[in-house]
Amino acid sequence: MKIFRVLVWAAVALAGAAGLSAIAFERGEPLNATWIIIAAACTYLVAYRFYSAFISAKVLALDASRATPAERLDDGRDYVPTNKWVLLGHHFAAIAGPGPLVGPTLAAQFGYLPGTLWLIVGAVLGGCVQDFVILFCSMRRDGKSLGQMAREEVSRRGGFIAQIAVLAIMIILLAVVGLVVVNALKASPWGMFTLAMTVPIAMLMGLYLRYWRPGRVLEASAIGVSLVLLDVVAGQWVAGAPSWARIFSLSAPALAVALIIYGFAASALPVWLLLAPRDYLSAFIKAGAVFALAGGILLVRPVVQMPALSRFVDGTGPVFAGKIFPFCFITIACGAVSGFHALISSGTTPKMIMRETHARLVGYGAMLMESFVGVMAMVAACALQPGVYFAMNSPPAIVGGTVESAAQTISGWGYSLAPQTMTDLAHMVGEQTLLNRTGGAPSLAVGMAQIFSHTIGGPHLMALWYHFAIMFEALFILTVLDAGTRVGRFMVQDMLGHISKPLGRTGSYGGILFSSALITGAWGYFLYQGVQDPLGGINSLWPLFGIANQLLAAVALVVATTILLKMGKRKYLWVTLGPAVALVTVTMTASYEKIFSADPRLGFLSAANQMAARIASGAVPAEKLAEMGRLIFNQRLDAAVTAALALMVLVLVVEALFEWVRIWNSATSPVLHEAPYVKTQWAEGD
Amino acid sequence: MRRSLNSAKYGARKVWWALRQIFGDAAYENYLQSVRRTAAHGANAATPLSRDEFYLDSLSRRYSKISRCC
Repeated sequence: MKIFRVLVWAAVALAGAAGLSAIAFERGEPLNATWIIIAAACTYLVAYRFYSAFISAKVLALDASRATPAERLDDGRDYVPTNKWVLLGHHFAAIAGPGPLVGPTLAAQFGYLPGTLWLIVGAVLGGCVQDFVILFCSMRRDGKSLGQMAREEVSRRGGFIAQIAVLAIMIILLAVVGLVVVNALKASPWGMFTLAMTVPIAMLMGLYLRYWRPGRVLEASAIGVSLVLLDVVAGQWVAGAPSWARIFSLSAPALAVALIIYGFAASALPVWLLLAPRDYLSAFIKAGAVFALAGGILLVRPVVQMPALSRFVDGTGPVFAGKIFPFCFITIACGAVSGFHALISSGTTPKMIMRETHARLVGYGAMLMESFVGVMAMVAACALQPGVYFAMNSPPAIVGGTVESAAQTISGWGYSLAPQTMTDLAHMVGEQTLLNRTGGAPSLAVGMAQIFSHTIGGPHLMALWYHFAIMFEALFILTVLDAGTRVGRFMVQDMLGHISKPLGRTGSYGGILFSSALITGAWGYFLYQGVQDPLGGINSLWPLFGIANQLLAAVALVVATTILLKMGKRKYLWVTLGPAVALVTVTMTASYEKIFSADPRLGFLSAANQMAARIASGAVPAEKLAEMGRLIFNQRLDAAVTAALALMVLVLVVEALFEWVRIWNSATSPVLHEAPYVKTQWAEGD
Repeated sequence: MRRSLNSAKYGARKVWWALRQIFGDAAYENYLQSVRRTAAHGANAATPLSRDEFYLDSLSRRYSKISRCC
């Protein structure tokens, strides 16, 4: 029997190696996406079977006999012992947002190889390790948050830094995902109508769940999902009626304002009315779309049209500026390593684990699943004709605002594109234009629609599938936007409470409105800045978000390393220290380049200086002076935000280094703030 | 034939159970079970919340802290 297991695992490892070799060394011949799927799936299986088992047994020494917080503190509300497969579903639903879909799509500008390798290797050695170890640390501390653990195990300042970093990331995240929605829905009556209608549908579900059938989520979601699917179909009739199409055709600035108002309302309204039902709706659609995409890719086995390495590895890419190192690792955060996950792993999940040993499946396993979602997004983006991909993801400042100019510029880069191709494609998906739709969501939607229409319906259903995919992405993002705004509001109120007690009261209406306005104003400002940016906004905001997210991952891994050191696991420090060093290197390099690079497309300060020089030379017309002044301020603000984030993390790293040296040289055992050991009362197998 | 039918029924029940657990339909039943467990251990259990109260309470708990990632 043992020999059979050895043979099976040897076969899986060999298949993975064959897949990785195919994607790494295939040149000239078109690559079938099946190789990417095989490489990813086999690497995940081997990593889960061997590496996560090693971490469980040797590094963390998970103890099935130790009672978890869910058992000791069981209250049926926060602390709820939960079946491990159910908790895997919960945790996966919580960590998988739009990030693993958008990041890989944007990183496809380097070709399929760098992003795919980073998704696979980054997840196995970094992201999964971070999620798993932080989940373990929080579970041993009765579900304490990352900030609390940083304060107790590293330093008081560490906890404060983590709290500020989380709020900063939240603001940038909400702005950037808002920008993705704006770019996907501007001047798209079908898409806009579909998304707008999800608001009354969610409210109907909210009323159903509140007054008619409290807590019957499956019933309400079945009604909601049916109405949303109907809504996607109805969108084409709205787009086909000129008077209605005019109402739902919004410009980018108008859409940005609408989103800001929506965010404020969702944050201030009762949670049962809009936020919670939208979240249920989004969870269902998300699960359906992800499974459908996986099935579609396996059935269609699309050919990857993007080269392994594009000409933009040199940093001159039109989607965003910067070389593979460090920008590929910044662009793909969720899907490889995401600091935000550490907040979920030290939030609800550690309070629901039944047995310590389940942390391996939930922490490491859920992140592998998210990485696979990222790989599928990469396949969908790379299955597009490269010329189409660049036409959709490049701003007008680079490829021009007409299909003719875009086709000429992009063909000049060596990716052939006929103007008619873009016109036909837009017609096929029911849009007026697909040009300059930066942000990744529309190109992913076209990639998904191609895969779905090859499975069901053929070209006739392309438009329907495209708008289904857009609705899925936008719905998903809006859920992040309203849930994030609300949590941000609580964080702001928590901070305001130190200044004025009434403003800090979560039940006070004045406090709610004031803090909602503050948090919405903060992300709304960055969103509007992105909409006004001549380079499309994504070029500035997505790297800023990536840097912030990876800096938080570095914080989490530094906290995890400190805890391992205190546990006496000196031999195994490399497990968390390795990814921590890699992330600090990547993020510090990216921060430095984004602030100080002499290339105005890359460096915030050089962009500001270039614009200031144009004003000084008199090249800017008088009516554009105010707008140019705002653009200069925004570039300097982005530089200041990047510098502040990098500085905060450097302070934490230095503090942790001092703590590590102190522990290393200390003769006495360091204080570990774990909850004391209590033997489980549950029988084995419970 | 009957065996396959029973297996299918068993599988369907399992799927339904998992769906109710994952999407929160079973949350109130789980809460009541927890209250009963606490009472069985001799602790001073408070009067359980009604389904309606529990639903609102669980929503306000979930959405006052970070519960969704990017």
